[in-house]
Amino acid sequence: MSGYLAYLAKRLGQFVLVVFIGVNIAYVVTHATPIDPVEQSISAVTSFGNTAPEAIEQMRQSLKELYGVGGSWREQYFTFWSRILRADFGPSMSAFPTPVSALIGRALPWTVGLLVVSTLVTWALGNLLGGLAGYYQRSRSFKLMGVVAMGLHPIPYYIVALMLLIVFGFLWPVLPITGGSAMNLPQGWTLAFIGSVLKHSILPALSLILIGVGSWFLGMRSLVSNIVTEDYVQFAELGGVNRRRILGSYVMRNALGPQVTGLAMSLGGIFNGAIITEKVFGYPGVGTLLVDAVYAGDYGLVLGVTTISILGVSAGVLAIDLLYPLFDPRVQVA
Amino acid sequence: MLAILRDLLKYNLEFRIGIILVGIVVGLAILSGFSPYPPGDVYVVPPDVPPSSAYWFGTTSRGQDVFWQVCVAIRNTLLFGITVAAISRVLSLVIGLLSGYKGGWIDRALMGVNDTFIVIPLFPILVLFYFVMRDSMTWLMLAMIMATLGWAYDARLIRAVAMSLKTREFSQTAVFSGMTTREILTREHLPYVMPIVFSTTMNNMNWSIGLEVTLSVLGFTDINTPTIGGMIYWANQHTAIVAGVWWWIAFPIAVVIMAFVGLFLLAVSMNEYIDPRSRLSRMGGGAR
Amino acid sequence: MSGPVALHTPTTPVAGAALASDPVLRVNDIQAHFRTQHFGVSREVRAVDGVTFDVRRNEIYGLAGESSSGKTTLIKTIAGAIKPPLQVVGGSVQFSFMPGYPGLHAAPAAEVERVRWRHLSYVMQGSMNVLNPMRRVISTFQDFAWRHLGGSRKQFEERVVAHLARVRLDPAVLRAYPHELSGGMRQRVTIALATICKPDFIIADEPTTALDVIVQKDVLGMIRSIQQEMGSSVLFVTHDMGVHAHLTDRLGIMYGGRLVEEAPTPEIFSRPLHPYTVYLIGSLPRIGDDTPRKSLEGSPPNLADPPTGCRFHPRCPLAMEVCARQVPPMVESLPGHRVACHAVNPGAAA
Repeated sequence: MSGYLAYLAKRLGQFVLVVFIGVNIAYVVTHATPIDPVEQSISAVTSFGNTAPEAIEQMRQSLKELYGVGGSWREQYFTFWSRILRADFGPSMSAFPTPVSALIGRALPWTVGLLVVSTLVTWALGNLLGGLAGYYQRSRSFKLMGVVAMGLHPIPYYIVALMLLIVFGFLWPVLPITGGSAMNLPQGWTLAFIGSVLKHSILPALSLILIGVGSWFLGMRSLVSNIVTEDYVQFAELGGVNRRRILGSYVMRNALGPQVTGLAMSLGGIFNGAIITEKVFGYPGVGTLLVDAVYAGDYGLVLGVTTISILGVSAGVLAIDLLYPLFDPRVQVA
Repeated sequence: MLAILRDLLKYNLEFRIGIILVGIVVGLAILSGFSPYPPGDVYVVPPDVPPSSAYWFGTTSRGQDVFWQVCVAIRNTLLFGITVAAISRVLSLVIGLLSGYKGGWIDRALMGVNDTFIVIPLFPILVLFYFVMRDSMTWLMLAMIMATLGWAYDARLIRAVAMSLKTREFSQTAVFSGMTTREILTREHLPYVMPIVFSTTMNNMNWSIGLEVTLSVLGFTDINTPTIGGMIYWANQHTAIVAGVWWWIAFPIAVVIMAFVGLFLLAVSMNEYIDPRSRLSRMGGGAR
Repeated sequence: MSGPVALHTPTTPVAGAALASDPVLRVNDIQAHFRTQHFGVSREVRAVDGVTFDVRRNEIYGLAGESSSGKTTLIKTIAGAIKPPLQVVGGSVQFSFMPGYPGLHAAPAAEVERVRWRHLSYVMQGSMNVLNPMRRVISTFQDFAWRHLGGSRKQFEERVVAHLARVRLDPAVLRAYPHELSGGMRQRVTIALATICKPDFIIADEPTTALDVIVQKDVLGMIRSIQQEMGSSVLFVTHDMGVHAHLTDRLGIMYGGRLVEEAPTPEIFSRPLHPYTVYLIGSLPRIGDDTPRKSLEGSPPNLADPPTGCRFHPRCPLAMEVCARQVPPMVESLPGHRVACHAVNPGAAA
């Protein structure tokens, strides 16, 4: 049990380190800029139309704190941290006076939903097919699948999403290519709304799955082709253990641990992909929010999405790490 | 190293396809030197001409020849990838070898930082960079930023190789014969690490080019330097697909996909050469 | 299908005098080669090249030889673990409990499944890695033996617990994962696993090599007593001549993919005939003897390009001109003592 506690402490330490380094990068980036970001942002917003003077003053205050204009660097640093820990990024400039945190809170469920579902599907499908392909190495159909995976895997998310958009938006328009649900439906737990959400999520999810499956497929295939040469697999074959049992409980089961670790390691990259895919399909998650915030010059929103992303991804990694002992009995003692 | 490349070329199909794809892409990039038009100029040819014998890949709505645009763009895109890969190689080599060889608390500290960089979602950070820098964000600066953020995964791979090298006999001999750590690392270990450096270089180029294309498409880079992402950005700005000017988007995408798949195949075949176990399974040593 | 077969294989072998000479295993001129083709170079390694021997009911037959002698490939072939690049090129492996098939590699899947673990079991080298690290010990027992022994989960578990007592293991190990057991405990688990179905034939591949000397002695005693209790036959493979002296009834010596000598174990030690065996026995340490040991000149044969004739001739102190030309046949020079050597059996080749 003390082994598990040590493992837990180590993982928590890593989580804190990720958040610490991530937020510090954000701090350095925002404070190393040669231009005066506050006045630039204010002028960008005011040029769109007439904004109330007190609103501008409120914005200027929060911008100054976030950008750290005025005061010693130590004061700036701590103000920055306290703002971030309170998730207080001030009011959004592009959607004034809605606070940035509210905008992110509204977008987050969409991203989390899309990401969790497509990642689980991708991971399960890729590992299942890759495991079979590694076990039945002579099968022609799995070899063909390997070729397809090799062709798809290296292409970036954006390109695949764009190609799906072209195919289903212009060549064969059967699926909705933009938005998270039909415009005319009220949001709520109605069948029509849920159906519409699912339908709208097909293309964004598909582009995430298409690329992800290839990567898990290739990784699992090479992992399994190594595991089948292990003594315990050879021994089980000599023992006449049921083939399906060997494939499931001996081969795949032993590949599961490394692949769970792999999931934790690649979560950041998957998140990048989700952000980009959202933008291509106009999906109402944090990705679209981020890109639109850049176009609108909404500094608080950009910084907010960035830090929430760092926190969210590292929390996801932590969650996977904490589940890991379920997949590997050796961690409980070692 | 040359003998390895010759063997791979002779007997490995993936490597051969990879070489051909990368060869075509590099050929196009070299052709860019013979472009009849300055790459930045617009309205030098009639706009919106479909592919023909005069304009092989057609022309854009901005009056540019797509073929010559693609050549210049892929050159810049490849150069970007190479720059990022070269700089980040230095970081990942130093950190990977040091961590794997020294072990102990140095290893734990370096890998803690390393895993942090693997986990952190880089795309929002790059967007934040662009947002703060705006027009002062140059091509080279983006390359530097991506190199300093993108070394971690490869450092881990190199560390694993270094750790296995450390336990081998010749390292022990080198220690007892009084070589310094630096000498052991550069003279004894570097030759064994080179193949994995090669394969990670290819994968790193894919990673950085992919991110660069994505950032450019969204307009988050210096859009006046023609790159593949930049071309797609301008095509989107002119709603090329809706207007039926499909060649403006199709050709740059086709060329960049060739680059991605080609580089990936080179990396994969090199990895197979490194790992004797996958070689064994190729011979048929694995399960049926 | 299994009806008439069962008649040939009594479920509880009787260790009677009349049956004692019955071969359970008859290996006839088996040839197994590694054929590889990689990066354009094709190679054929003739790891097992024409081996013939019998293993009788209720005996422990030892196989000895250095690491490249082909003994591991031979037992892989016997156990039916044939995977490319390994191929059976000729000969047969006949088991009394599987009549009509020239070896597991040539039998249909259903027949192989019937035989494995019920009639033929295996104790493997390297006890550290033969148990699935993700499965508790009881699950491994279920995977291997439940389908043969039948009964409810509880009945089966009771049977396993009773059997574990024979190798002096606490029932608590059934709930453990392999990494929670010591090396000696793990090896005892694999021995219990290999014997729980009371198989007719057990192949033991260097089962004691990775263990320390005291545990080794313990494990050897256990194999001997379980074997005597059940009347199984054991094919015991190790390079360690000391272990053979301690345990086996008859002993075959392998060199360069062939059997060079075979005799009852005491006779091999007291009266070795083949020059290679003479060297092997001579290299054993003896108490009170401090003359320096002679080491054999030259290196083990390269089986991708083996020497012509007798494979031992380049290193043999007795080598004659005929040795490089002709493969010496295996001849029964003394009762129950076969040797393949031109110097021992002059004129046998003609």
